[in-house]
Amino acid sequence: MKCKICDREAGENDYCEFHAKAHENIVEKYEFWREACEITWKEYLSEIVKNPSTGEWAKEMAEYLAKNGEK
Amino acid sequence: MPFTERDEMGKYTMIITEKPDAALRIASALDAQGKAKEKKANGVPYYVAKRDKEIVVVPAIGHLYTVAEERSGRRHYPVFLFEWLPRYAAEKGANQIRTWIEAISKLSKDADVFIDACDYDIEGSIIGYCILKYACDNKETVSKRMKYSTLTKEELEKSYAEMLPHLDFGLIEAGRARHEVDWLYGINLSRALTLAAKEWSGRYVTLSTGRVQGPTLRFLVAREKAIRYFVPTPYWSIKAEVQIADSVFEAMYEKKTIATKIEANNVIDACKEKDGIIENVDAKKFRQMPPTPFDLGALQSEAYGLFGYTPMRTSAIAQRLYLDALISYPRTSSQKLPPAINYEAILRNLNRAREYSKLTAELLSKKELKPNEGRKIDPAHPAIYPTGNLPERELDISERNIWNLVVRRFMAVFGDLAIRQSIRVCININGHHFYLSGRQTLEKGWIHFYEPYVRSEEVILPPVKKGQKVNIKRVILEDKFTKPPPRYNPGSLLKKMEETEIGTKATRASIIQTLYDRKYVKEERMVVTDLGFEVVEVLKKYCPEVVSVKLTREIEEKMNQIQINSEKREDVLLEAVEILKPVTEELKSKEKIIGEQLSKAIKKAEFEGSIIGTCPVCSTGKLTIIYSRKTGKRFVGCTNYFKKQCTASFPLPQRGAVTPIGKSCRGCGWPTVLVRIKGGRPWTLCLNPKCPLKEERRKNIEMQNMR
Repeated sequence: MKCKICDREAGENDYCEFHAKAHENIVEKYEFWREACEITWKEYLSEIVKNPSTGEWAKEMAEYLAKNGEK
Repeated sequence: MPFTERDEMGKYTMIITEKPDAALRIASALDAQGKAKEKKANGVPYYVAKRDKEIVVVPAIGHLYTVAEERSGRRHYPVFLFEWLPRYAAEKGANQIRTWIEAISKLSKDADVFIDACDYDIEGSIIGYCILKYACDNKETVSKRMKYSTLTKEELEKSYAEMLPHLDFGLIEAGRARHEVDWLYGINLSRALTLAAKEWSGRYVTLSTGRVQGPTLRFLVAREKAIRYFVPTPYWSIKAEVQIADSVFEAMYEKKTIATKIEANNVIDACKEKDGIIENVDAKKFRQMPPTPFDLGALQSEAYGLFGYTPMRTSAIAQRLYLDALISYPRTSSQKLPPAINYEAILRNLNRAREYSKLTAELLSKKELKPNEGRKIDPAHPAIYPTGNLPERELDISERNIWNLVVRRFMAVFGDLAIRQSIRVCININGHHFYLSGRQTLEKGWIHFYEPYVRSEEVILPPVKKGQKVNIKRVILEDKFTKPPPRYNPGSLLKKMEETEIGTKATRASIIQTLYDRKYVKEERMVVTDLGFEVVEVLKKYCPEVVSVKLTREIEEKMNQIQINSEKREDVLLEAVEILKPVTEELKSKEKIIGEQLSKAIKKAEFEGSIIGTCPVCSTGKLTIIYSRKTGKRFVGCTNYFKKQCTASFPLPQRGAVTPIGKSCRGCGWPTVLVRIKGGRPWTLCLNPKCPLKEERRKNIEMQNMR
């Protein structure tokens, strides 16, 4: 099966190895953001999509999650 | 000299060098009159020096022999049988080598004494050994060896007078092993990747990897992944503008990073419109040691940081300066300057150059000249140092930069300690502490000699004392985000290779260049392409040992042991074959899946490579070179054309090669391409038909025509 975001082979969580790791990072970093500036999940995704320092895979993942309302 | 004349003239001594420039220098140094005669054999230059006996100095042009497969063909692997062959027999386009070998071979017939004077390192030793063995009919066993680190007359004469009685066979064995092991790795792994991709797609695209190239690319991929996964987190920093006397300084809040916005706002609120009281002034003096002399890696890193030269470029410039006898042998890993090089004489000679006369006079007036040496040693050569000779020709800017850098570094290592002072002023603003930092050089010491290249900022604070009240102009809150790790550049990658001890001083720069040539990386801040990713992913998945830094370093260590006779070349080779056998079997059994993975990445890389830039008309599509199906003519079109969203197109010249260069026009910011037409100079073409630079150029031409 293909990754939900790119055409690489997907693993158990329907993401390829790279996007799965990006997902893990996004979830982990949300705790920092929430503590730092009391932000909702949706706002958080929108912030990291806009941020120029966000890595390419993390940005693709955040865009996908924002579009599909997934966590 | 015609070969037939020799019978009447007796036998001569034949000296072999690595390059023609070195041959001329050696012949001139050894000739009693200092004027060697240039002659030619089949168009190959050689030099004749007259001394007590006639000396013929014959140059090579680098490696004339190479490791090659015993059977021919490029479509099979594994390959474990090899031999040393003339390069013309193993490589395309190396026909000149045949003439060269034939000339050396003929000249060797009338020689009775043979001396190898190639550079004294692994590569030089292999070059000399192969020529003596294969072109001169097994003279490697009777040949003597000249050892020198500079091409100055004094050192060459000394080296000739005190030549070593035989070749350095430890170095030669180590060199043979390195070439052979690297060939085994390179040929088998590169063929496995290339053939897998070809089998799947039907197209031949050269893919390569090697014993050092694979682990190096892996460093880059690991960094690239960390960057692509990266999610920034917010933090805040606070600074206060403090007025002292007539100047305003920035003082930083005691906590460099504040994790929550609430905490940051609380500090701002507390400090708003409050004065500050100086609570403490802490001044510390510290000593800065002079730098250590340059080894090749340090020179390459410094030149990259100062001038932006790639390691490969610095290496080439240093080699030219060495052949001009301006600096010592650059391919060294030593940070030592032995007294035998005669520091005083070098400084006295440099004193003749106006720009160094004051500085060298200062050093020469010192009681003792003692360099601040580093720990690294190289048994063959000292650190890089200027010979004291002044340029005999006009150096170009890059040559002058590197020469000046080497000269100034050499002077700096003899300099005194620099004494610097750091001052830290603690300011209390309503219970919150802010710190003001100052840095000042009290005694320049060695910095004086290395001044243009020292990167240290001076922040001089006015005198302040404890309890003094200061005006706080404003307190500033800054929103910040954590940053991803920085990308490698050629300089920092070279440093990483040195730290992890993979590759050698002679090969690291060219391995980095190969990563660019194969399109595994792009841009100066090295970005790994999809193709680079796939190559590492394939190797990591199916044969992790060949991209293992640990294994590469272990092999490296064994090859070093050969040099001191603690390991045998044959054993190291056998070990390499033992590693490669199962690896190639695994790669072959997975050829289809590997081929598919790589072919997709090649296709993507080719598409990425053909992109000229973002379309200036629709701003979302990419401009790429398209060939018209009707006419076969080429033009630039937008990728959004296929989605029927943009019709932007721009004409291109129909002759010559057009390559995207990823640069915007300095006149209008539109994408540009590089056009190369055979016989002409390459030129940059801006795609904007109304580019102001084109207009300007048109007007200039009109004006010239009118005149």
